[in-house]
Amino acid sequence: MDKAIRVLLFLFCFLLCAYPTKALQNYEVGNIRYKSFSTHTQIIIEKTAQTDCLPARELTSPPRLLINLFPAVLLTLQGRAEVGYEKEIAVGDSFIQAVRLKQEHESVLQVVIDLSITEYTYNISSEEPDSLVIDIRGPRDASDKDLVVDLLKKIELSPSISPASPEQKGKVFKIVLDPGHGGDDPGAVGTSGLKEKDVVLAVAKELASLLEKEPGIEVHLTRDDNSFLYLYRRTEMANQIGGNIFISIHANAAPSRGATGVETFVNSMYAEDKEAALVAARENRPAEPKGISREAEALLWDMVQNKYKSESNDLAHSIQKRLSEASGLEDRGVKKAPFSVLRGAAMPAVLVEIGFISNPWEESKLKKDDFRKKIAQGILDGLRDYLKKIELIT
Amino acid sequence: MASPRKKSKKKRKTRRFLIYALIVIVVFIAGMMFAPLLQEKAYQLKEWFVKPPPPDMKRVKLYFSEPESKYLVYEERKIVAFPEITEEVKSILEELIKGPHDSSLSATLPPETEVRAAYIRGNCLYIDFSSSLRDKHPGGTTGELLTVYSIVNTLLDNFPSQSYVQILIEGMPEETLAGHIDIRNPLGKDLDIMKNP
Repeated sequence: MDKAIRVLLFLFCFLLCAYPTKALQNYEVGNIRYKSFSTHTQIIIEKTAQTDCLPARELTSPPRLLINLFPAVLLTLQGRAEVGYEKEIAVGDSFIQAVRLKQEHESVLQVVIDLSITEYTYNISSEEPDSLVIDIRGPRDASDKDLVVDLLKKIELSPSISPASPEQKGKVFKIVLDPGHGGDDPGAVGTSGLKEKDVVLAVAKELASLLEKEPGIEVHLTRDDNSFLYLYRRTEMANQIGGNIFISIHANAAPSRGATGVETFVNSMYAEDKEAALVAARENRPAEPKGISREAEALLWDMVQNKYKSESNDLAHSIQKRLSEASGLEDRGVKKAPFSVLRGAAMPAVLVEIGFISNPWEESKLKKDDFRKKIAQGILDGLRDYLKKIELIT
Repeated sequence: MASPRKKSKKKRKTRRFLIYALIVIVVFIAGMMFAPLLQEKAYQLKEWFVKPPPPDMKRVKLYFSEPESKYLVYEERKIVAFPEITEEVKSILEELIKGPHDSSLSATLPPETEVRAAYIRGNCLYIDFSSSLRDKHPGGTTGELLTVYSIVNTLLDNFPSQSYVQILIEGMPEETLAGHIDIRNPLGKDLDIMKNP
């Protein structure tokens, strides 16, 4: 009987000792998947939030990408992987041959990606806590060049539009005036009911009649009646005409009624850091079959307008100076913003704000013909200053 | 007579002890088996009896238009901190729509605007607004600029881990809200429009 008691006691102690070794370790790496696209291959590693990814190392001959995960333990069908456990996932597409996993250490999981190409770019995203996404793409430059070529074909840049060259003296200089909004789109509406689309059309027409008197200048209006125009159509028209200067005319509105004054805008780039923006644009877009993404296209349109950055800026300052003098309104200065209507213009382009329709006092001024004439004269004088500066007129 | 009685007494004692030991072991093993279950239950019990702590508050910056509508200035507000970043984004935007406490500042979003959804992809916050943001917008370049960048700057200021904001209307990217500012793409923070950021 004593024996039985001893056995029981031993069992009891054994269980008591065994229990604490069941302590939980919760950094585990589970399922690993891959997706093959025509442009890239994506590897998705499911993991717990604690698991971190150490910086990747690029190894050559053969090209490999080494990523260590820490703390991490690979989960297999048999449970947690022992140190030294290895596993290979064959991929065999145009970017990746295989993904190899090795439990290097109790808490380090090594991921080696065997690449099919020597020139590649990669991106590791661990924004989601429970997964790690690795994208492998071809070399960046080639694909970007393709994008630009594609777009330039679309734009059909004509050689006659580069401004400010001395040879252009004596040639016809084309100015495109773009009264904002129109048709179903009234633009901003004042408290007494004055509509932006009507004010800007009247000012644009006034300015056009003044410009027609200038020698060597040809004026075009994107709309000369109350018709609706899509934004892209406005710059498209200006580009097709072969315009040398694009001026979009608008009346302003602001959340605060106290806002007053005139201001002139130039386009700002969608992103200062083009590279980062292009990468962002790519990553945010679902896999598209072919062609360029919306984002890439807008970026490249920016680059078109960006070629005329300094001219646009000079033009904006000339106009702003004369406009604020002529109108007697507060000078809010020259500003930058990402404008849909300026983006695609293959010429110096500005957007002029001729006063706040949301401010009752300025609204009442904008209603009057003589004030509209003053505004038109101000823009004309600014334009003349700019043309003098680039020695197109004397 | 005496000796067998003694013997049986001893036997009974041992048997009793054995039974006690068996009970202890059975209870212990049963305890081991049910321990995880009990742990879970204990957690629930704790939730029942211990009052939940007051919700964590988070100090956030909301950008509004200053009286001349030249800049965005911020107002600090305390909101309930959510474990989910997207929940917090929605609650911050709802505060932004409500407008400023300081009456000299102006709201930059139409009061009818609703936030339909918010989600994160990569380093970009996607915010899906109801059509009111576009349809009820009073217009004007300045107004539109302040609307767009009060959204973008407020979010990127409060969530520095994100670099871009994509505005969506009823789930779709829109060209502009009122005919000026291009919002087809994710936008980064605009520092020029902030007064003393």
